[in-house]
This record gives sequence, C-alpha cells and structure tokens, in this order.
Amino acid sequence: MRRPSRKGYFGNYGGRFVAETLINALDELNQAYESFRENQDYQQKLKTLLSHYAGRPTPIYFARRLSKKISVNLYLKREDLLHTGAHKLNNTLGQILLTQYMGKKRVIAETGAGQHGVATATVAALLGLECDIYMGEVDIERQAPNVKRMELLGARVIPVKTGSRTLKDAVNEALKDWVRNVQSTHYLIGSVVGPHPFPWMVRDFQSVIGKESRRQFRKMTGALPDYAVACVGGGSNALGLFSGFMNDPSVKCIGVEAGGRALTPGDHAATVTLGKKGVLHGSLSLLLQDEEGQVSPVHSVSAGLDYPGVGPEHSHLHETKKAEYYHCSDESALQACQTLARWEGIIPALESSHALGYILDHQSRYKDKDVLINLSGRGDKDLAIIIREVL
Amino acid sequence: MTAYNGFYLVGNYPDFELFTEALREGLRYFDFAEIGIPFSDPVADGPVIATAADAVLKAGFKWEKLLESVQKVRQSADSHKKLYWMSYANILYHHGLQNFIERSKEVGIDGIIVPDIPFVESEELKKLCHQHRMDYIHFATPENTDEQIKRIASAAQGFLYFVSIRGVTGSRLLVDDETARKIQLAKEYSPVPVILGFGIRDKKTVERALQLADGFIAGTALVKALGTGEMDNFTSLCKQLTGN
Ligand SMILES: Cc1ncc(COP(=O)(O)O)c(C=O)c1O
Repeated sequence: MRRPSRKGYFGNYGGRFVAETLINALDELNQAYESFRENQDYQQKLKTLLSHYAGRPTPIYFARRLSKKISVNLYLKREDLLHTGAHKLNNTLGQILLTQYMGKKRVIAETGAGQHGVATATVAALLGLECDIYMGEVDIERQAPNVKRMELLGARVIPVKTGSRTLKDAVNEALKDWVRNVQSTHYLIGSVVGPHPFPWMVRDFQSVIGKESRRQFRKMTGALPDYAVACVGGGSNALGLFSGFMNDPSVKCIGVEAGGRALTPGDHAATVTLGKKGVLHGSLSLLLQDEEGQVSPVHSVSAGLDYPGVGPEHSHLHETKKAEYYHCSDESALQACQTLARWEGIIPALESSHALGYILDHQSRYKDKDVLINLSGRGDKDLAIIIREVL
Repeated sequence: MTAYNGFYLVGNYPDFELFTEALREGLRYFDFAEIGIPFSDPVADGPVIATAADAVLKAGFKWEKLLESVQKVRQSADSHKKLYWMSYANILYHHGLQNFIERSKEVGIDGIIVPDIPFVESEELKKLCHQHRMDYIHFATPENTDEQIKRIASAAQGFLYFVSIRGVTGSRLLVDDETARKIQLAKEYSPVPVILGFGIRDKKTVERALQLADGFIAGTALVKALGTGEMDNFTSLCKQLTGN
C-alpha cells in the first residue's frame, strides 16, 4: 500500500491538525519510525515477540458448517486467537518497541472497549514502562472486567468525565496529557487515526494480518479470496487486512461500520457512510457531525466501534473507490455473534460480529463466493452485553 | 512600548445578553477580544472554558446568532480595537474555509486563531485571510526550535500568540529560562506584538507576562468571573488585570 505524502496525506485526507506544541514531537516520532523500520535488530525483536509472545501467525479457518448453511465460502482470519484476544496487540507491540527505541519511559493510551487499553498495559508490563490509560466513565462501567485486567497488568486507568465520557473523550484527554508531558511520554494510539505519522504507522504494524492472510489463503485454496471483509471503528484491523490485497484487482475490500439502532443521528457510528469532511483528533477525514459542525453523539452495541471519526486512509479509499463501505445493525451483529457461536463454536467480539453480520444479511449477494473475514477479536469481553441483549 | 493586551470570552456565554455586554465592556479595557466559537471537542481548553462551551452548546448554539451579536458590538466599538475568532479546525472546515472567512469579514472580524491548525497546515487558510485582509494568528511554543520561532515570528500578523506553557487553558503560568529566551527571540523577529496566553489570571501573572512579552491574553479567569452572572465581577477583574 502507498505511503502517505510527506505532509501525511492520503489523497485529500490526513495531515497533522494538532497544537503547535506537538508538531516537533510528531516530527521526532516520524523520524524515529523511519529509522526503526530499517533497524534490523528491532525488526527482529518485533518478529520474535509477534511469534513467541503474541502467537503469530494466526490461522485462517474455513467455517465449513456455516458456509454450507449460507452458501457462501466463509474463511476467518483468527485474530481472536492472538494474545489478549484481539488484533490490537500487533500495534501495541510495534509501538512499545518504538517507545523503547526513542528512549521514552512512559506511555499513555485511550481505550473504549478496553481492548486497546489491555493490549497497551500488556506491552508496558512486558517492557517495564509506566502506563496510564484514559477511559470514559461510561465505558469504565460498560467494560468493568477490562478495567480490572489493566489494573492487574500494572496500568493506571484514568476516568474521563468530559463530553460524552466515551472513546472520543478519552482521546481528547490523552492528547491533553501528551501536550503536558510530550518530552517524557509516547502516546500509543490504538487505531489508524490521529495526526501523521500515526495512521501510516499503525497500518504498518497491522499489515501483518494482510500479509499472512494472502499467503495462507493461497496455500489453502490455490487462489485469492473474492472479498476481504473487516469491521471499521477507527479502521486498523480493516487496513491491516486490506493492505495484503490492495494490489490484487480481483479482491474486493469491504469495510463494515456500526449501523447501530438506526441510521438517524446519534443512533449509529457509520462514519464513512454518513460523515462529512471534518477534523477530529488530529486529522482531516470523514466525521459524523451536526449542521453546526459539532461532533455528533454516536451509538453502537460494540464499544470498539462507538466512534464518530475514522482513519483518513479509509476516507481516501472510499473516495477513490478502492474499497467499499457498508454497515451492519446492532441486531444483526448480535445475531451473527450467536450464529458463529452455535455453528462453529467461536464466540466473536461484537466488533468483528459486524463484519460477519453484514455478510449474513446479504448472503445471496455473496452466493458461492470466497469471502475472507477478519475475525478481529474474541467475544468474552462482551459477555455481559450479550447476556443483557439476547440470552 | 505600551502593552497590547487581549481578553477571551466563550461566544454567547453565559447567555446572549451578558456575552454582548461583556464583549463591549472588555473592549474598554483591552486592545483586542478573542471570541471563542464553542466546539464539542475543545482539546486546547481546560475544564473552565470547556464547561462554559458545553453549556452554550447544550442551550442550542447557532453560529449565525453569534455573528449577529458580534456585528452589533463591532458597530459600536472603537474601530482600533480588534475582534478575533478563536475556534477549532472542524468549525472552519464545516462552514467551508472560504465561506467562513467571508461571513466573518462581513460582520467585522479582524482575524482568526485556530489552536489545532499548526504552522505546517496553515497555508490555505492564511491565503484566504490575506485575500480578505484578515489576520491569521500564528502560535509559537517552548517546543519550537529557534529556527521555527524565527520563521513563525517573521510571518506573524496581528500579533504572535506565544503559548508559554505545556498544557491547556487555565493551567498555571510557569516560564523557565529557556522559554523566556525563546520569547525574546520571537520578539526580535516578529513585526507585531508577541503576546503570552495561557495561565494569566491576576496581577502577579500579568506582571510576569509583561516582563517577558509585549502583552497578554486573559481567558479562564474572566470566563469564570462572567460565569457568576454578575457583570461587576467581570468588570472589576478587567480593571485589575489591565491596571485601570
Ligand atoms: C476486537 C476489535 N475489533 C475491532 C475494533 C475496532 O478498531 P479498528 O477499527 O481500529 O480495528 C476493536 C476496538 O476496540 C476491537 O476490540
């Protein structure tokens, strides 16, 4: 996949819309990352950790029973089997090594569902770095077990009481912390969002998903999939998968957003589908906003997709038609989660359930096609919600 | 040189009438006003200003309505006194950069301050401001290198906003020697006054700011005073800060 421009743009989207105070830190990060990419020692360290600590490569599994039931050939990239239970660790392992490479001693991160928070706390423990996680009060309540996991891993969870008290506000507070402590601290962003170089760097760290998938799929079937499908919150697991197939015109990339309760303002998080060009958290991208330019409240049953922005590269892929974006409702996602549990014995995260839910909702469109879905995480963390909503 | 000082208010806070009155009143004591257009995600602001902005948004804020109050004040205010917008990039992009600048010019706004548009992203907006003879206000910070400060200061129009601290509005003013040196450097290169913002709240911090720079901007303390709903509190703080 292409690198962004020197100023950090993917076509018309991206850039560095942050306080002047952070510009040099971003330059420094950019330079450090350029040299980190070329540093054989560190690349080897990362590779070793990805295999021996995280459990890569994750397999692709052909879901035989479910495929037969819906007449679509469903292949699942099993990121749910990665240590800590989601793709997030690919990125946090990369960035924590980069933090060490830069000589910084403290990391901060935002988290919604708690998955990125756990993945960050995990790698901070692994390298013995100080770790503060910003999390909205609403999410702290919704995702209590993950809060305890982070604390057990030695991180401090800082409750965010501003705005909607969810993921978006946790990012705001983390950015403020970074402005205050920019000399000592690395902000370990959890998705392909934020100012340049984050969207590019996080995509790079997640591209291992796509690289493995392409090789594994060919080995399994002798061909490439017809479709590569992933859910899109900020968009990191999706870009990780898409990056493996961007040069294959026969493979169509599909991003699935949170359709929520309805497509009315405040009831969904379908940013690419319904957003307008705007600036949030450091980059110019599509953004859900009202007629005054205020960021809209969003809703999704899955906390990891409950975000009004999206990575700038997705806005670009959408604009240039290199990828297609659809949405899946809360209800269909919950249904898909149960279906996969009952037919294949796999409980997917509610985020990942959106990717599957979209295919189940449109199975006739994908009849007899080979569809590769990124199963970005496991559903254990969502048990309380699943119990409340369906069981 | 006499000091060149500004004050910050959150647009239409605490309400339309008090805001308009405070804007008028403040302009009697200060050389310029910074009018905040409330935004849902104000990452440069501390709790006092963020809470005030949130209250305005909850009351159903409309930019058009704020334009009206600004136009009214502009018509009656001393024409040497300047009015600046302070808002976030999304507000400008949302209204369309060109449209935003044109509408602002119409009601008599003299320039814009956007804390999440750094120098490296400012080209397009700067060009639009020039075309409409408005000031595009640049920020300088302790994090900037000497080279950057020279470049930013040389390009400054209206005034140069020196953010003296690492933090958000309402934080404490602490200026180390290295920062003091950078402020001095900015003064050497800037054709316009170099103003300290963030952390100016009372006589003591004003004195400190004026030792270092050509002027100051006071925000959080004034917003808090106005938030009491008593104009007298606001006025007496204006007097105290400007020494009138
Ligand atoms: C399992 C899982 N999938 C997907 C996401 C959404 O993030 P992204 O769109 O960056 O992959 C999250 C975020 O918390 C997640 O936990």
